[in-house]
Amino acid sequence: MSSIWSDRPFLAVLAAVLAVALSLVTSIAVPFGLSAYLANAIGQLAAFAVLALSLDLIWGYLGILSLGHGLFFGIGGYVVAMYLLKHSFEVTGKVPDFMQFMGWTAFPFYWAGFGYFVYAALVAVAVTLLISGVFGYVSFRSRVGGVYFAIITQALVYVAMLLMFRNDTGFGGNNGMTGFAVIFGWPIGSRGVVISIAAISVVVLALTMLGCRLLLQSRFGMLMIAARDDEVRLRTLGYDTLLLKLAVWCLSALIAALAGMLYVPQVGIINPRLLAPDLSLEIAVWVAIGGRGHLIGAVIGAVLVNAIKFWLSAAAPELWPFILSGLIVLVVFVFPNGLVDLAGFRLHRPLISRLSSEPAELNR
Amino acid sequence: MIRSLALVLWVLVVAWCSTAHAMERADLIGKVCGDAAAMGEAGRAMIDIAAEGSPDDRAWAALIPRSVMDRKLSCDATGAVIASADGSVDALTRAARSAADGSRSPLLSLKNRAMFETADAALALRSSPDPARRAAALRTLERQASNLPEQLFEAAGRDESNPGLKAQISAVAQGAALNSPDMDKRIAAIGRVASSPDRRALALVGPLTNDPAYGANTDFRRAVDAASAAIRRGITIGDMLATLYNGLSFASILFMAAIGLAVIFGLMGVINLAQGEFIMLGGYITWLVQEALRLIAPGLLQWYLIIAIPAVFLVTAAIGIVLEAILLRHLYRRPLMSLLATWAVSLFLINLVRVTFGTQNLQFVTPFYVTGGVPVIGDFIFTWNRMFAIAFAVVTLGLTWGLMRLTPLGLNIRAVTQNRTMAGCIGIAVRRVDMLAFGLGSGLAGLAGLALAPIYSVNPQMGQNFVIDSFMVVVLGGVGTIAGTIVAALGIGQINVLIEPLWGAVAAKVIVLLMIIGFLQWRPEGLFAIKGRRK
Amino acid sequence: MSGTALVIDAVTVEFGSFRAIDTLSLAIDFGEVRAVIGPNGAGKTTLLDVISGITQPKKGRVIFGDATDVLRAGESQIARAGIRRKFQKPSIFEGLNVRQHIEIGAQGGLKWSLSRAELDQRVAEVLDAVGLLALANRSASELAHGQKQWLEIGMVLASNPSVLMLDEPVAGLTDEETERTAALVRSLKRADRAIVVVEHDMDFVEQIADRVTVLHEGKTLFEGSMANARADARVIDVYLGR
Repeated sequence: MSSIWSDRPFLAVLAAVLAVALSLVTSIAVPFGLSAYLANAIGQLAAFAVLALSLDLIWGYLGILSLGHGLFFGIGGYVVAMYLLKHSFEVTGKVPDFMQFMGWTAFPFYWAGFGYFVYAALVAVAVTLLISGVFGYVSFRSRVGGVYFAIITQALVYVAMLLMFRNDTGFGGNNGMTGFAVIFGWPIGSRGVVISIAAISVVVLALTMLGCRLLLQSRFGMLMIAARDDEVRLRTLGYDTLLLKLAVWCLSALIAALAGMLYVPQVGIINPRLLAPDLSLEIAVWVAIGGRGHLIGAVIGAVLVNAIKFWLSAAAPELWPFILSGLIVLVVFVFPNGLVDLAGFRLHRPLISRLSSEPAELNR
Repeated sequence: MIRSLALVLWVLVVAWCSTAHAMERADLIGKVCGDAAAMGEAGRAMIDIAAEGSPDDRAWAALIPRSVMDRKLSCDATGAVIASADGSVDALTRAARSAADGSRSPLLSLKNRAMFETADAALALRSSPDPARRAAALRTLERQASNLPEQLFEAAGRDESNPGLKAQISAVAQGAALNSPDMDKRIAAIGRVASSPDRRALALVGPLTNDPAYGANTDFRRAVDAASAAIRRGITIGDMLATLYNGLSFASILFMAAIGLAVIFGLMGVINLAQGEFIMLGGYITWLVQEALRLIAPGLLQWYLIIAIPAVFLVTAAIGIVLEAILLRHLYRRPLMSLLATWAVSLFLINLVRVTFGTQNLQFVTPFYVTGGVPVIGDFIFTWNRMFAIAFAVVTLGLTWGLMRLTPLGLNIRAVTQNRTMAGCIGIAVRRVDMLAFGLGSGLAGLAGLALAPIYSVNPQMGQNFVIDSFMVVVLGGVGTIAGTIVAALGIGQINVLIEPLWGAVAAKVIVLLMIIGFLQWRPEGLFAIKGRRK
Repeated sequence: MSGTALVIDAVTVEFGSFRAIDTLSLAIDFGEVRAVIGPNGAGKTTLLDVISGITQPKKGRVIFGDATDVLRAGESQIARAGIRRKFQKPSIFEGLNVRQHIEIGAQGGLKWSLSRAELDQRVAEVLDAVGLLALANRSASELAHGQKQWLEIGMVLASNPSVLMLDEPVAGLTDEETERTAALVRSLKRADRAIVVVEHDMDFVEQIADRVTVLHEGKTLFEGSMANARADARVIDVYLGR
């Protein structure tokens, strides 16, 4: 991939993201800036955009479609929710709802240490790496790919959802976890804190975009695209594609978990529905709508689809599924490369030609 | 001629019986009006009537115990009179008459009162037309069953028309015999109980180890031990069969959901995420057929499950064909995008049905041919509704196999599955084959929905519960093979039901998924992959 | 350096009930260009698949150099050991440009061994050899069919392989392109390199091959010079025709 400086569309979107971040940061200081409600919405969109980037990294640039990325998003979300609940309990002394519901007076033993954010973050990283690493290793080792991989990841997130629906696991069960009061010692609902979290989310989005962009223009990124286009060819040139895929897969999972950690403090609740197969499918839809294989496509897709969803969920919630399915069909027929087609951006040519057709191989 | 002779004979017998019983009836009334000992005898006599008396006698006697207990019966010089809201009648003849002066209502001693209560219940059990009254009577009798004549329960069980009550009566009878004072009868009863080995039998025989006779009498102990061993064995076998049977019915549904998926996947490399919604549509069309029959031909309502078969298949197949024609054919070279496109279809169909029919479960008539079942052994009941699903799957399997192996369409589908380009080159209309195969796959899913209607709740979300399991069947079975789909469906179905009672449904799903991932380490292309050169 | 580069020892490959290669034994020496020819379905490509580790045979061994048992290694290990192969269908990375292909081919492994300068030099040499120097920054997806064939040859050539396998390198090429490819293959011949070519174009084979092996139904039907092969009755029967 060419140098970042010649990629004008990317720079334009990055500049826009940074501008939003700047306006959020200034709004913290001045009372008449963005409202907390708007900032919160922007922050959530940023979290979704990070999530979409994580999927685009493996789908767009490595050709591996995961329909279970909600799992890693959920891991990040659950871990940060555990931090928030434990921390809030330590500050306010209020016993979380789910424990009252189960009749517990003490936190289960594995909640120990979750009052410290650093520990919680380390757990999120460790659990994400463990699950993505083991799952990725066994899948890529046996060369499960394509549609097979997609539906097995879908089953994975489905099973995780069923597990979390159980009330006896100590993670909130079907009601999930909510009632976060305090974050880093600050009241979570105050305007300053809300806007700060949103600002952090947007900054993280910008950093993720930049990081992914730099990765892709490195030699490693070159090998990713090579593996996407013809994995057998790359392997028979002496490259161990298992390691390559595993590394990108785990990185992608970590970014998804990061998105979850940004998302949950902003919505103030997590429950197993975050692990529903439908959400994981929706992530793929954002990326497809925006434009798979373009970092800015993922960002635009996630922001656009979710902005419409936010607006419709207030105006006409019944209509949303119909609009979403309509959008997918639109992408399939009219913009096979996503909305970046519409924008008419002059993108890196090799990508464009490649995107109009996936490898015809089915499961290799 | 013979019939008229028989009639004459019958009339004679009845006449003789009634004269013979007329004397007994008078005697009984006399005892009712007698002293405490005589009243006790009267009570026992009435219990005997309940056990062995003619229907006529029982009907006659049924009124007496309650009248005595309620002090509605008064004795006088000529006999006794029973008072009721409609006026009073003679206790013996039931002709209307009022009591003579100086009549008295006999008072029951505590012991005799219990006896009369039992007699009342025994007679009610045998002659009351009201099943609720009979059930209540049985509850009263249950407490002292071992002191009652065996013939009472035998006869009551024989004559009982309500199946539930009949089973209860025989249970009480067995319990009574088990506690009979006569040791031979007890042992015989133990044998009888063990002949239908289920948990109820175990509950009857189990406590006998605490019976004094268990320590004292070797024969009794041997009988009890043998019986409980036999019962436990029966229960184990029954539970095993029940598990297998449930697994088989689950596997049948999985098979029907997955076979269409497997055919389509093998042919086009498209995993149809809307497959679950075709199942759901199958359920809804079945319901629509039922409602249509209710309006047009109520006489055929019971047969809606059969009548709906062609309708369900044709309508879901047609929807599948339309879908293939307008959406999926643009996506054959982009299998991952086709996942998203079929998900869009799934989303659309779920919400369309939700908006049209609402989210509640549909109400289905339960036809007689899927009602009840045959108890086999232990607590295993061979239920017809599950059998319906299994039989349906077997027939579907046979037809699909026949279609794939014996018809030109099947030949074409197999040819295109193996080599799309080559099949096109030798003149097979590949697009048409795709379309028909997609229709076939969708129609089969629709039929799965029909088979589910009697055993599962039909609502807009129902497809979601099957679709991931069916994916796993396809992954495990391998692409586009019927044999693989069968084996995988049976395997996943059975493993699910085997694990469920041990660790719960969620653990079953987790373990099945882990096993599939593990299995793919060994055979990445599934059980029955067609091997060939790569690239 | 001379001696035996590859020994294929009683290899059998089965796809289901179909026996694609039937107890085939074959030795290929360093310094030779060996052509493997035969009718469709004779097992030529499957043989290359076995050597490059893509297909695991049911029985038999493949020994590379002195002792390396190819069958115990994965595809990437085999490639790193110095066995490279061009596929029948041109296999290139459409998302990358021409020079990136050669870079990937030259480095051969996730550990990058060459410095930037060495790499640039190697890329220039290889592109010059396959005649694509002028197109170095062109996207591979924009190349013509013949150019894609050469690009893939360049890619497998870039690492200086000891065993170079070319599966139908001139399929679909014009006569002039075939001529150039023949010259290229001849120029690649070295004492420490074995070249295996699978091809149907008999004139091309005649130009480049030192020896030919004729496969038929998974077995060796003939081994020797092209001239002798053309005279052999069995070869004429099953393959060349009269």
